[in-house]
Amino acid sequence: MKLTAEKIGRMYFRSGRDTNFFYAVQSIDFEPEEGKVTVITGRSGSGKTTFINMLCGLLTPSCGKVMLDGKDIYALSDRERSLLRNRSFGIIPQGQTGLQCLTVAENVLLPVSMYGRAGEKEDKAKKLLEMLGIDDLWDVYSNELSGGELRRMSVARALINDPGIIVADEPTGDLDGDTTVLVMELLKKRSENGAAVIIVTHDKDVMPYADTVYTMEKGVLKKQ
Amino acid sequence: MRFSLAIACKNIRRRPVRAALMCIIVLFLSFTAFMGGYLIISLQNGLDGYRARLGADIIVVPSAAQGHGTVDNVLLHGITGNYYIPQDSLRKLDGIEGIEKNTCQFYLTSAKASCCSARVQIIGFDPVTDFTVTPWINSNIDSGISDGDIIIGSDIAYPADGSIRFYGESYHVAAQLEKTGTGLDNAVFTNRNTIDKMAHSAAGTVERETLKDIDPENAASCVLIKVKDGYDISAVADDINIHISKVRATPSVSMIESVAQGFGNVSVFISVITVGIWLISVIIIIAVFALMMNERKKEFAVLRVAGASGKMIVSAVSAEAAVISITGSVIGLVISLILTAPLSESIRNHFSLPFMQPDMMIMLFLSVGSVVMPFLIGVITAVLSAFRITGNESGLLLREDA
Repeated sequence: MKLTAEKIGRMYFRSGRDTNFFYAVQSIDFEPEEGKVTVITGRSGSGKTTFINMLCGLLTPSCGKVMLDGKDIYALSDRERSLLRNRSFGIIPQGQTGLQCLTVAENVLLPVSMYGRAGEKEDKAKKLLEMLGIDDLWDVYSNELSGGELRRMSVARALINDPGIIVADEPTGDLDGDTTVLVMELLKKRSENGAAVIIVTHDKDVMPYADTVYTMEKGVLKKQ
Repeated sequence: MRFSLAIACKNIRRRPVRAALMCIIVLFLSFTAFMGGYLIISLQNGLDGYRARLGADIIVVPSAAQGHGTVDNVLLHGITGNYYIPQDSLRKLDGIEGIEKNTCQFYLTSAKASCCSARVQIIGFDPVTDFTVTPWINSNIDSGISDGDIIIGSDIAYPADGSIRFYGESYHVAAQLEKTGTGLDNAVFTNRNTIDKMAHSAAGTVERETLKDIDPENAASCVLIKVKDGYDISAVADDINIHISKVRATPSVSMIESVAQGFGNVSVFISVITVGIWLISVIIIIAVFALMMNERKKEFAVLRVAGASGKMIVSAVSAEAAVISITGSVIGLVISLILTAPLSESIRNHFSLPFMQPDMMIMLFLSVGSVVMPFLIGVITAVLSAFRITGNESGLLLREDA
């Protein structure tokens, strides 16, 4: 699965004024390698999250294109792009992202159940939770979880569909050292199985797992 | 759709207080829609019935009867009386110019004592001269009224043997009239011969000692007058009041006007309350849904991240709003239906207005309307709020709540 960003940029307006705008991301060319872990670091507000949101179809670029296997994902309809995101991307967003009305199992199986195949993946969900050390929380509602447990749950949810591209925004943010190792080992294993893993992080413990490291500064991406 | 419905049901189960509050607001909408419509239609029906039953241009009653057993009191409230026009006054009516025809009615109140089955107003009319009651009775029953027969109003219960006892004598119930929403629903009608017989029997009782001084065959409780074409009704009524003592003539239109004005005041009051509650409830619904959707931005963003399309999220929100709205509006309707009887009674008594419940078709229309309208308002408001949120880019939603 080949993901390519061609000169993508994102402009924001300040206070709704037409003339007062800035570029959070400036005309970036980017092509993550399949089977590799790509890490993006940079100061807060440098445009990292905006950049990866554009890569996975969550934020329309102001300029440029995001191509997946030769197709411009922003030229697709919302329904097509949503299905593509469901099948091809595993996204671990920043912050706590559990749906409170669902149990841990239902949260993990969410990407599968919305297209009607939840039953097929229950064993896989159990195995992922076991690998992440939270298999005992299967029936627990997500609002009863700690920050670290929620983060591991969202990692499992991102991996449930065996995506070819994994995009993680601070995946170890709420985790202790041991759990960071658990999560990173899992993501590394996925890259070894052929997935392109893109991680945005400030966490130095993640660096040993990186195959390629980029730094984002004022919306400009530089390879280290 | 299955996924959307499942998410909607889980959301409701996990947020019962939020769902219950929404239900209560929709319930208010449903309740006010039904009750507002029901009360206004019932009052309009009652007014129409009252207008139809009055049937004469001028009503003449004894001066002593003012405010008691007058025809409007009988018609409106079923308040009964035993007042009679002196014979000399009745005879003088023939000398008044402009009267096309007139007919006498004789009122007799049954007693509370064991001699009578029920305390009701008995109205005796003359089938030969009558032009007010007979057309109405004939529209309800095929045959005329025979001596010894009575026709009862819709609210009077009668035993299985088909007879009711007044002053020690049994009278055969020939027919029961349809509901009018007026005091006539509690009245008994009979012909002049039968009421004369009842009056003779009543004259021997302690309760009706006054009847000893009355000759029922030549006395009347009221005279209903039809005025000749070209004559002014008020002028004829004034003529009667000037030239005949011990009676009071009133143009029936003034009675209708006073009732119609009362109806107008009450219906404006009900309309204002209904529209006010609707406006407030709709504003609350819009505000609550908008706040609720804002609060759920993160939830929508997570669904988008997992691969849900905007349409799937809007479907889930619609399904949730539909479940809440249909529950609220059906509960509102059930409460309305339970409260119709006591509330109707209270309005009838408090505002002294004729009141007749709408027929089944109108009730059905009101019921469906009071469920469908709040349901649509709830769902449309929720869907518009969801569209507003899902119209934003998911990446921005994620950032707002990160």
